[in-house]
Amino acid sequence: MKTTLVVMVLLAVLASGGSVAVCHGLSEADARAAVANADLRVSFCYSAVADAEKAGANVSGLLVTLNAAGVLLSEAHLALINGSFDSASTSAGECVTKLDGFDSAANSLRDSASQAKLMDFWLNVVGSGVGAVAIVAGGFSVWWYLKRKQSVIEGDA
Amino acid sequence: MISIAALLVASPLLSKVLVWPRTEFFTELYVLGSNQTAEDYPFNLSSGESYGISLGLGNHLGYCAYYLVEVKFRNESQSAPTSFGPVEDRLPSSLPSLYNVTAFVADESVWQVPVSFGFDYGYNNSLLRVDFHSLTFNGNVSSFAEGESTTWNTTTSRFYGDLMFELWRFNSSSNGFRYDGNFVDLKLNMTVS
Repeated sequence: MKTTLVVMVLLAVLASGGSVAVCHGLSEADARAAVANADLRVSFCYSAVADAEKAGANVSGLLVTLNAAGVLLSEAHLALINGSFDSASTSAGECVTKLDGFDSAANSLRDSASQAKLMDFWLNVVGSGVGAVAIVAGGFSVWWYLKRKQSVIEGDA
Repeated sequence: MISIAALLVASPLLSKVLVWPRTEFFTELYVLGSNQTAEDYPFNLSSGESYGISLGLGNHLGYCAYYLVEVKFRNESQSAPTSFGPVEDRLPSSLPSLYNVTAFVADESVWQVPVSFGFDYGYNNSLLRVDFHSLTFNGNVSSFAEGESTTWNTTTSRFYGDLMFELWRFNSSSNGFRYDGNFVDLKLNMTVS
C-alpha cells in the first residue's frame, strides 16, 4: 500500500514536471512562431507599400503605420533574445494587429495611383504629343494652303 | 509662332522625357548629438546614466526601403564592421546585436528618431577593468554576454567602449536582410569613480 502510494506520488511529480517542461517549451515555440509570423507580416506589408510607391502613390501615411509596427517588432525580437516569451508574443501580436487591413489599404492606394498614372499618361504624354503634332501639322496645312492660293492668284495675274 | 505654340503644348511631354537621370543610389546613416547637431556627442559615460542622441537615415535609393539598424557594442579587441571597398566585400561586426531599430523610409525622405541609451557596468579594481552588465536602449534593457568587459587603455587613459549602429537593408528577392556596408559609431569613455 505504502509502495503504491510512493509510486503514485512519484508519477504525479513526474507528470507535473513533464507538463511544466512541455508548457515552457510550448511557450518559447509559441513566442518564436508569433515573432516569425510578425516578421513575415511586416515584410509582406512592406512589399505592398513598395508596389504602391512604384505605382506613384503617396505612401507617407502607410509608412507611419509600418514604422509603428516596426517598433513593436523590434521589442518582440529583444524580448525573445532576453527570454521574455510572453512579452515577445504580446509585442508580436500587437504588431500584427497594427497591420490589420494594411495590405488592402496599400493595394487600394496602388490601384488609384495606377489609374491616376494612366490618366496622366493619356493627358500629359499622349495628349500633349498629339496636340503638338496637330499644331505643327495644322500650321503646315495653313501655310501650304495659303502658298497654293497665292500661286493661283499669281498664275491668274 | 507655330513652333512656340507647339513647344507650349508639348511641354508636359517634354517635362517627362527630358529628366536628368539619377545615377547615384545610396543611403545616409547618421548620428546627431543631443542638440540635433553634429556636436556634443556623449563621450564620458557613467554607469546608470542615460544619454540622448538622434539616429537618422536618408533614403536615396529610388524606392521605399526597409532598414534594420543593429545596435552593437565592442571593446578595443573585438570585431568592428567595415565600410570601405566594394559593398559586397564589406562585413558587419561578428558581435551579437543588442537591439534592432526598424525603419521604413520613402524615397528621397529622411527618417530621424531620438534615441536614449545608458550602460550598467561595474569597475573591477583588482583587474583594472570595467565589466558590462546591460545596455538600456530607448527604455529596453538588453543584457551583455557573460564576461563582456573592457580594460584600461594606458595610451588614451580611458576605458574604451564603441557603440556601433550597423545598417542592414531588406532584400525582397532573398526575403532577408543584408549588411548595407554602412555604419556609424560613438567612441565612449566608461568613467569609474
